[in-house]
Amino acid sequence: MLENSLGDSGEDLEHSQIGKLMFQLNTKKDCVHILRSMVEVMAMRAHLGELESNRVTLAVDELFANIAQHGYGDKPGRVEFEAKLHINHHRQKELHFEFRDYAPVMHMKRFTCGDEKPCSASDVLPGGLGISLMHSIMDVVQHEALPDGNHWLLIYICKSDGQCEGEES
Amino acid sequence: MKLDVRVEEKESGMAKVYVQGDVTIQTSPELRKVLKPLFVAKQQEIHVYLSDVGFMDSSGIATLVEGLQWARDMQGRFVLHDLRDTVRDVFRLAKLDTVFEIAEVGA
Repeated sequence: MLENSLGDSGEDLEHSQIGKLMFQLNTKKDCVHILRSMVEVMAMRAHLGELESNRVTLAVDELFANIAQHGYGDKPGRVEFEAKLHINHHRQKELHFEFRDYAPVMHMKRFTCGDEKPCSASDVLPGGLGISLMHSIMDVVQHEALPDGNHWLLIYICKSDGQCEGEES
Repeated sequence: MKLDVRVEEKESGMAKVYVQGDVTIQTSPELRKVLKPLFVAKQQEIHVYLSDVGFMDSSGIATLVEGLQWARDMQGRFVLHDLRDTVRDVFRLAKLDTVFEIAEVGA
């Protein structure tokens, strides 16, 4: 059960509408800049730090790129995008990003290499690295195959101190 | 969004590549187009300067991996310079920060 209040600012997400952005995109590659701007706005509203904001933007960017390249095969296609800011029942801010496309059902192979060792150049396969980055950044990555396309949900739980692992204070 | 890539080639077999802009799925083909002719045997070192790159996605990383493969195949050096924190973080997430030769800022 999600609550409506933003907590630290005291604003009501449902009534102020600051917690939600919706957009219909196409898969033309220049749309990635529009998408990135929207994600950056949401990251700013969630008070994310620079590295955290960059990571979230990267993950969303990678999913869009995969839909465009592998879902629609670089052909024009419709993509609906929605971004929401929630407060979960642990009083943590969450950013939810949803994509709806009308491409053939996708089965994305996750790129993996050992957690304990660095990857090698030969491990980097087209498309796979982006999916791996997305999984390593996002707390939830969900895919639902629909009769006429795909639904994707990415959830990022904002870090309490606004910093990422590896970011210096 | 535009990507500017400038190359300085030295007679000593060293090339310096200066990149300005975001390296994304849209712009990485530009970077690849500039780098590819440098991946020849006569070149011994390629230095890529990224201080003016604020955002890089996996297509940008994949483009730079081609440089890494060239260096391995030709026993050359492919060195990345002046990475911003956001870009360095992407290499770290991809676990490629220790695979690439990354020079400290100003080196």
